[in-house]
Amino acid sequence: MTLQARQISKAYGAQRVLDRLDLSVDAGELVCLLGPNGAGKTTLIRTLSGLQKPDSGEVLWGSESEGIGALKLRRSIGLILHQPFLYEHLTGFENLRFYSRLYETGLGDADLRKMLGRVGLGSARPIPVRGYSRGMKQRLTIARALLCDPRILLFDEPYTGLDQQGCGMLNQLVLEESARNKLVLLTTHELSYIRQVATRFDVLHRGKIAASIPNAGISLDSLQEQYSAVIAAGKAARKEQA
Amino acid sequence: MKAWLHSVRVLIWKDLLQEWRSRDILTSMLAFAVLSLFIFNYALELSPINRADIAPGIVWVVMVFAGTLGLNRSFTAEQDQGCFEGLIMAVPDLSAIYFAKLLTNLLMMVFLAVLVIPIYSVLYNQSLFNWAFFGVLALGSWGYSAAGTLIASMTVQTRMRDLLLPVLLFPLLLPVNMAVVKSCGVLLGSVAGQDINGWLNLLLVYDIIVTMLSIMVFEYVIQE
Repeated sequence: MTLQARQISKAYGAQRVLDRLDLSVDAGELVCLLGPNGAGKTTLIRTLSGLQKPDSGEVLWGSESEGIGALKLRRSIGLILHQPFLYEHLTGFENLRFYSRLYETGLGDADLRKMLGRVGLGSARPIPVRGYSRGMKQRLTIARALLCDPRILLFDEPYTGLDQQGCGMLNQLVLEESARNKLVLLTTHELSYIRQVATRFDVLHRGKIAASIPNAGISLDSLQEQYSAVIAAGKAARKEQA
Repeated sequence: MKAWLHSVRVLIWKDLLQEWRSRDILTSMLAFAVLSLFIFNYALELSPINRADIAPGIVWVVMVFAGTLGLNRSFTAEQDQGCFEGLIMAVPDLSAIYFAKLLTNLLMMVFLAVLVIPIYSVLYNQSLFNWAFFGVLALGSWGYSAAGTLIASMTVQTRMRDLLLPVLLFPLLLPVNMAVVKSCGVLLGSVAGQDINGWLNLLLVYDIIVTMLSIMVFEYVIQE
């Protein structure tokens, strides 16, 4: 299974967010997409998930015959975006049960409770989600994204709202999923956490993957240095063009 | 088809459970309906002779206005928490979302009718307990919910959704309003010399056409 973006472009009005971008992620890889605010990370995740179409270029999920219109393919993507996709008046368990039934996962109540335990919500009181803290909602969102046992995990800023334990739990989960030959692509600014698990860092700048940094035991300082250098080089090139 | 029906059933269950927990929609609809019936009761001087003339109009207008409160809120959870995107990834076809919302809104309207009819009967001292009368209200509610669900899915994405929904919806409801009021009038004996079948056919055709058209365009509304 390989997720490929070929020459995709996306613009909002006059602002070009993605500019003939190429990206390829293989199963078993855990790729972190880095980039400054407004670089287009969320747009790229939404495009790769099929929620929005690129203006040009194409996205390939596995074999070329598979289209995002296929239910099986859509249900094989575990997606986290900025909003949690949770119903505030339902409890965490009821939210999971709803999505489980919608995805036709066949999971029973015991499996769902196990899933809640996996994200650290096993002992949470059965209260509506509107009473959850931001971190608890994010944990539930992670459980919701993993419910359908997805082959592709697209996580946009998954560390948002999580405490240190939560970040550790998320790292553990994505490592486990990656070890099961799942394809993981996530965006974050939390370099200290993602450095521990990512196999590669792709830097998105000015609508393109400006650099790809392999993680061969890279230190946090070195990663920050390389990332800053890529962004600075991009800005310098822009000034020269102007 | 099996997966589609399953999705519709699961979505309706979720909507009803959510409404049971919050009681947002039913409470506002019922409060509005009861208050309106009270206001009409003392605002209109009704004699026993003209009660039957006016009953269909009052009952349907109260249901339409109260129903608008429910329609306005029917997509807010999906819009506010980004749940549309979660549903898009999971359902076999987007029409399942529309159809589930339509049926939920229809259930709310039928429930409203079940409560409005006895309250009206007591307040106005005129019995409306008539299965045919209830059937016409249910048919009207179907057309109302079919058009209303589609318009609500459009307006929920705008800042002025509370204002836009009635402005866009009410002109579309003209055939339903006429057909429901005239049919109920014939049933209550206030409209003489008219054939109810014509109005019922209009209602049925409207319901089917609007439902089919809405199913076809809902996908574009959501994705835009």
